[in-house]
Amino acid sequence: MSITTVETWVEPPLRKFVEEARTVLALLLHPSGQVVAQFGFVRAVDVMSACALAAAIHASAGELGKQLEGKAFRGLHHPGRERQLYLAEAATQRGNFIFLTVFDQESSLGLVRLYFDEFCKNLAAAAPAEARRAEPVIEESFEGELNRNLAALFGRG
Amino acid sequence: MSLVNYATREITCKIVYYGPGRSGKTTNLHYIYGQVPDERKGKMVSLATQTDRTLFFDFLPLDLGTISGFTTKFQLYTVPGQVYYQTTRKLVLQGADGVVFVADSQARQLDENIESFQDLHANLAEQGIDARAVPLVIQYNKQDLPRDLVLTPAELNDALNFRGVPEFGADALHGPGVFETLRSISELVLKRLSTPVR
Amino acid sequence: MSSPFATALAALTRQRGVRASLVVDENDGIVVDSNLQIGQDGDRVAALAASLYRKARLSARAARLGTATFMQLEAERGRICAAGHNDLVLVVVADPAANIGMIRVEMIKAAGALP
Repeated sequence: MSITTVETWVEPPLRKFVEEARTVLALLLHPSGQVVAQFGFVRAVDVMSACALAAAIHASAGELGKQLEGKAFRGLHHPGRERQLYLAEAATQRGNFIFLTVFDQESSLGLVRLYFDEFCKNLAAAAPAEARRAEPVIEESFEGELNRNLAALFGRG
Repeated sequence: MSLVNYATREITCKIVYYGPGRSGKTTNLHYIYGQVPDERKGKMVSLATQTDRTLFFDFLPLDLGTISGFTTKFQLYTVPGQVYYQTTRKLVLQGADGVVFVADSQARQLDENIESFQDLHANLAEQGIDARAVPLVIQYNKQDLPRDLVLTPAELNDALNFRGVPEFGADALHGPGVFETLRSISELVLKRLSTPVR
Repeated sequence: MSSPFATALAALTRQRGVRASLVVDENDGIVVDSNLQIGQDGDRVAALAASLYRKARLSARAARLGTATFMQLEAERGRICAAGHNDLVLVVVADPAANIGMIRVEMIKAAGALP
């Protein structure tokens, strides 16, 4: 099972969820649309698109909930013909995350909701209090490399 | 703040193209999409109305390749420019690592540019972000239109660029200025990852 | 407002040793209606029992045994019984000492009356 995560503490709760709920895809992301962890995607660019759309669905459902009910909706379920989607928010001391999972007949909405509740508890328990300290990650003289990459990207290399 | 995955050595940055309606934000993304080879881009997602006006956002994921040993990815977003999509603009702007303000160079659009620029600053402030700290590049689009219809970059600078940020004249439909704008915002965003946070 | 299943569920839960009875959507694993004794987690039982029943039903079909009518799972401290009709499953959680023969008869009768 291939799970990729940006921060390692996310992996055990996500792995447990995917194994138990038997879902096909799973994504954990920041409300801004940045991926935190993923399971089941092949291409990184597809992960980014899914994150952008999930953040959009979550944001618009939240706003709709606030307008209709005075507060954001708790979870969202989209049944498809063969696959279904469940999207909800997971709160931790490191902030709120959006969780999206896709499942087929191997699972069910009830199972997904059941294990999602457990996932939220496990995620909250695993979340470290402090974010990793920001530190310089790229060399100061990165411009040359950036320019070469961009030129190649635009066929100007 | 850009997302850095130390385990897989990946950097992901969110760039938002902001500006008034019909200034050419989506056109910028379309041009970039058309230039970049398939293996370095994802599908371009457009949540648009039936008349092709941006309803929620356009989204284009790009793989910039390796920089300092980190695989660097950019998520390019546009916001809907129409005044009434204020809520959506705020949502898309959330967590932006850099902003490209696409201004419409036509003289008759000056007020819309100024209004949208103020809207950008108000929305950043509402999210608790100091607009001066956000990497920003201004693009004066539609510079290909007849001289008597458009303002020059110098004239537009006087009205909009009080921070003295990098600015580029552009013709996003045909390409001039699009690449330079993207390169400039990329540099500004990545520079923050090369400077120690104090 | 009482659901169309309330009477049947109440009758089942009145049986000696029955801790919970539920009507569950087989596909979603979500409780449609339930009659639970204190301490029973209906959502959890519903999700897992529906998944189990669906797999049992598919197993019976794969083995060319025809339509599944009743499933019983014996555990250390009790039993889970399930009987399905169309997309609904009737689930009962019972003590080891419960009269399972009587419960089975009542469940099959009640499941047959499900829409």
